[in-house]
Amino acid sequence: MTATALSAGLAHAQEVGNAHDKSNAAPSGDVALLRKLEQMEQRIRVLESQLKQKDNQEIARARGQAPAPAVSPADVKPGKDRKDAEDPSKPKLAKDQKGTTGWAKPDWATPASRDLTGKTAPVNRPNSIIGLTDSPVTGMSIGAYGEMKFGLQQNPAAGGQWQNGFDAHRLVLLPTYLITPNIIFNAEIEFEHGGSGFDPDDKLHGTAEIEQIWIDFKMIDQFNWRAPGIDLIPIGYINEHHEPTAFYSVQRPELYNGLIPSTWKAPATSVYGRLADGLYYTLQASSSLEDFGGDFGTRTDANTVPTGGYAAGIDGANALGFALPVRGGFQQLSNDVAVAGQLSYSPPVLPGFNGSVSAYYTPNTTPRGAYAGDAGMPLGRSSLTMFDAEFRYRVPNTGFEARGEYVYVSFGNPANLRANNDSDPTNNVGKTMYGYSGELAYHLPLGNILSSDWEMVPFYRYTFQNTQPGGFAGTDLNMPTGAGQTQFHNVGVAVFPSPQIVLKATWQKVINRDPAGANSDSVLGGVGFFF
Amino acid sequence: MTSWVRLTLPAAVVASVSPAYAVQYLTIDAAQKLAFPSANRFVENGGLTWKAQAADRLLGLFVVDHVVGKHLYIDYAVSLDPTGRVMRVEILQYRESYGGEVREPGWLAQFVGKSSSSPLKVGSDIRNISGATLSSLHVAEGVKRILATYGSRTR
Repeated sequence: MTATALSAGLAHAQEVGNAHDKSNAAPSGDVALLRKLEQMEQRIRVLESQLKQKDNQEIARARGQAPAPAVSPADVKPGKDRKDAEDPSKPKLAKDQKGTTGWAKPDWATPASRDLTGKTAPVNRPNSIIGLTDSPVTGMSIGAYGEMKFGLQQNPAAGGQWQNGFDAHRLVLLPTYLITPNIIFNAEIEFEHGGSGFDPDDKLHGTAEIEQIWIDFKMIDQFNWRAPGIDLIPIGYINEHHEPTAFYSVQRPELYNGLIPSTWKAPATSVYGRLADGLYYTLQASSSLEDFGGDFGTRTDANTVPTGGYAAGIDGANALGFALPVRGGFQQLSNDVAVAGQLSYSPPVLPGFNGSVSAYYTPNTTPRGAYAGDAGMPLGRSSLTMFDAEFRYRVPNTGFEARGEYVYVSFGNPANLRANNDSDPTNNVGKTMYGYSGELAYHLPLGNILSSDWEMVPFYRYTFQNTQPGGFAGTDLNMPTGAGQTQFHNVGVAVFPSPQIVLKATWQKVINRDPAGANSDSVLGGVGFFF
Repeated sequence: MTSWVRLTLPAAVVASVSPAYAVQYLTIDAAQKLAFPSANRFVENGGLTWKAQAADRLLGLFVVDHVVGKHLYIDYAVSLDPTGRVMRVEILQYRESYGGEVREPGWLAQFVGKSSSSPLKVGSDIRNISGATLSSLHVAEGVKRILATYGSRTR
């Protein structure tokens, strides 16, 4: 810049010198030349002070101080004949700022100017509505989510009789605390079915539990550690994103009720991170699923199954619904540790598409002291492998959304599963279980009502689940009723007065191969929130 | 500029841009240089905004703000050109364990070119991020608020 200015100045001096030489005698040529030299010196001084000031700003910022005033040109005298400098009173604007029909340039869009006193000209500050600090928020924040359900349901235990009902299914509190900028505490405290209590007049038979509790150590983009706590198993999408605003039906998607146990959580520790654009991973070790579904209080002090018979945790009717590992009191019934992994991907080439693949493996689900029948032969080890692939695609610039999922479970040694050895011939488990679902939804904006933008999402979901495909083993007779093959049709609408609250209505039709029928249809409404 | 500044400045920009660790991705300084590489002055304009200038030529406005993700703040920066349109959005700090997908360059690129007349509505001109619904909604709302304050005005 200096060189350019010098050469420009020199060229200019030459021109002016020539002009003067033409009109005047020799002495004024020297005077003009001297004046030009002075102006060049002045220009160099201006440039030097700009550079110095920039350096000062950078040093001040590096030291964490407020930057030095933008201009400190106390030693700069604006020369009257300065041709290279711009007139400070006329802001230089990009051409497309002026003349655009109907639009004025923003208030701030004038360069910071310098007046003769050397201070920056005062700027009209627009009303500032943004935060005054850029330091992290400290302190605790508590969020919540919950869902309430009500309507008409067929009760299969009452021969399919239609019954009215209401369930305050969940209220979950979500305390979050930034312990340090890199260490975050998170928990979920859940009350189910209205809570739990002892007084008969309260009529409570629900749950109060710690659904999640963990501390994250955030290290680098690619690697972060979640310290041992209670965490969700990273299988599929809905297990981890199960707030009522994440799915459109009143009840959670069917594959996440039994095949993937409802809110599958376990004592666990994991590492997770971002591998590339849109590609995230999780690797987790957790306490294993257990093939014991009986009353908690019946497990012995020796941490074995009780004598005299016990209920299975894994069976052909409920899949893995009763196989959750224990999370308190050191009362796990085995030493087995499971591993799980998930890769989730939003390919940059396909905006609006999210998908994941995940897998879970435990070397053994059989609890200590497991046996057949009421006092029969001991049951040996049986491993379990689960695989899930799912996607969600919101077609950009349209209201269309599609979701699809496939889940597959494989049992290492079904002969050692309690359900195949409990004298019940109808609940047996084969070598595998599987299920799949497909869903179509459409997002319809409803406009601004009551100070927020409402949205309506009609949807249809089809689910098929096979929890008894055959390949039975074990001591039981095999007489499956056909209830193991089930189809679910869900039609309904979810209305979002804001993304944090949802009003739902769903009609569900359930069909299975049981000659008596599934008798589980329902028409339900729901209110859900998440903030 | 003297030659030593010319030689070291690109290296300084590169070094300051690479994220050090998960929480603080960019300092304000580094984000300013990313957004306005040819600027040599950032003039304070009040309330965490800076005018980016090259000497007396105005390059744009650099605004720092924060919004809530799920429960914790996300610090982010929006750069506007002199007509009040978005040039760039950067996430400076993301603290939570979930929803970090708002940092994906493909998602942030949607804001480029937006003006105060753009709807900036998640699900309409801004894609939602499955699994980061609240973070994406709040960042979009924040950019919209910044455009309402600092973007171009109707006459």
